[in-house]
Amino acid sequence: MSDFVKDDGRTHMKSGLMRESLVSKTLIEQTDTATVQRMVPDVCMLAVGGRSIMDRGSEAILPLVAAIAELKKDFKLIVGVGGGARARHTYEIGIDLDLPIGGLARIVGGVEENNRDILQFLLAPHGGITFIKDHFQDLQLFLGNGMIPICIGQPPYHFWEPPSKEKGRLPDNGPDVGLFLQAEVIGAERVIYIKDVDGVYTDDPQKNPDVEFIPAISARELLDGDFPDLPIERELLRTLDDSRSVTSVRVINGLDTDNLRRALNGEDVGTIIYSRRYSAAEGRNQ
Amino acid sequence: MSRKRQGKIWIEGMDSPMINATLSGKQFREELGERTSVSILPDIWVIKIGGQSIMDRGKSAVLPILKELIAAHGRGVRFILCTGGGTRARQVYSLGLDLNLPTGMLARLGGTVPVQNARMLQLLTARHGGIVIYPDDFDKLPFFLNTGCIPITSGMPPNEFWEKTAAVGMIPSNRTDAGVYLLGEFLGAKGVLYIKDEEGLYTDDPKKNPDAEFIPDITAQALLDSGQDDLVVERIVLEYISRAEKVRKIQIINGLKAGTISAALEGESVGTIIRAA
Repeated sequence: MSDFVKDDGRTHMKSGLMRESLVSKTLIEQTDTATVQRMVPDVCMLAVGGRSIMDRGSEAILPLVAAIAELKKDFKLIVGVGGGARARHTYEIGIDLDLPIGGLARIVGGVEENNRDILQFLLAPHGGITFIKDHFQDLQLFLGNGMIPICIGQPPYHFWEPPSKEKGRLPDNGPDVGLFLQAEVIGAERVIYIKDVDGVYTDDPQKNPDVEFIPAISARELLDGDFPDLPIERELLRTLDDSRSVTSVRVINGLDTDNLRRALNGEDVGTIIYSRRYSAAEGRNQ
Repeated sequence: MSRKRQGKIWIEGMDSPMINATLSGKQFREELGERTSVSILPDIWVIKIGGQSIMDRGKSAVLPILKELIAAHGRGVRFILCTGGGTRARQVYSLGLDLNLPTGMLARLGGTVPVQNARMLQLLTARHGGIVIYPDDFDKLPFFLNTGCIPITSGMPPNEFWEKTAAVGMIPSNRTDAGVYLLGEFLGAKGVLYIKDEEGLYTDDPKKNPDAEFIPDITAQALLDSGQDDLVVERIVLEYISRAEKVRKIQIINGLKAGTISAALEGESVGTIIRAA
């Protein structure tokens, strides 16, 4: 029992954080580090858009499924997916019912499960399996056996979804953030958002013809600049900017599946969004 | 045969401004208006029992606090008890930091100790209706409360591997104070009460700095702006309060002082109150 310290009425274990409130700024600064250990560093996260890809039906989904099946021979892949039109309809009804933000966050993932199950069904001949939270630590079992784990995007904050930073009544955290965070804790090699636009523009190119394409930009510039609409969640930009392992993401047009092959091979396709810790010289994360 | 509009599957009844929105449109979000929402369980208190401050003191602190809470329960006060982690959580964070593990992994590790503490409290309160509940049980809360049970749960939010890395430092920003606050905010709870071993908030850690001054009442923003190094609650809670819709204040009290919990549950301004504005 010599490692226990009891001199102030509490029983402490000797550790670097003994008696600390864990709130002190000074203490928190001392725990800072630029890089962290990676859990499965050779895997790539493919984030398939709900509205942009899944809602387009077979003409967009089947070529993408064929491309993923082919690319799986050369790359370890996790496929994640958003909810699309049904997620938006969920929000629409949920907001009309005055549900709190934590209630919306709890409910919305249900429709993503439809999309995950569809992709799993289609990819099953090539090793597609559902990948759920409780099996997060079984990832290597799946990858090592040549499978393609397929998961939903919405992070499991559920009722604990924080009050939003963005205006309005929607949760800040959606599938873009959730899939990024999985990749970050895994220490994935790449995160690729597969959408139906060529990348990031100064505004939504499907609504505003007067836009410019942005091939590369920092998360901070995208957050602070005058960009009325973006193909990815704004909270993804904040999350990316603070990350330690995954320091860039790529947004590509999945309606031409050759873009996915090029992105996985590290070619400069679509838009790269990078964090303040991104170092092109290191050659990691694109 | 599936019908499509603008290349996407379309069915009758789907038309709305939200369907074609990217959800990242600034104007679109602003047009959704201010947050107003129903209160889920407005008569319920959410009460946190500190890990290091209370649980790690053992029975000398825990038993009188439980006695006071059970007496309040007998008077009809309804609450959910949440637990902190404490010393063992600090030890495993320390180990994880030493191994340079990512924040999401630290959050996962930090989740187990508060569950142990919740189970301890359940064993001690079982004969008064104490039950342990997990995040998946939360939609059954009305059932548990209406039967006169005292739901006890870990204060840790279910973020685990999905915990975001902070701008500075690797320790998870959302720990048990944050989880308890967010639970209260979601429920639209009657109040969120933190039972610790200090009178409330001081200008510095009173256990280390004898010159620290007591602060009875302060706004979250003033506290954030003060830049003070140490706080009695997790810093991110102050950010959440500032943006919150329902729970616009929290109260931090000294559970070691008999009668303080009862006074707080009666609405008295004991301890420190931190307000949204």
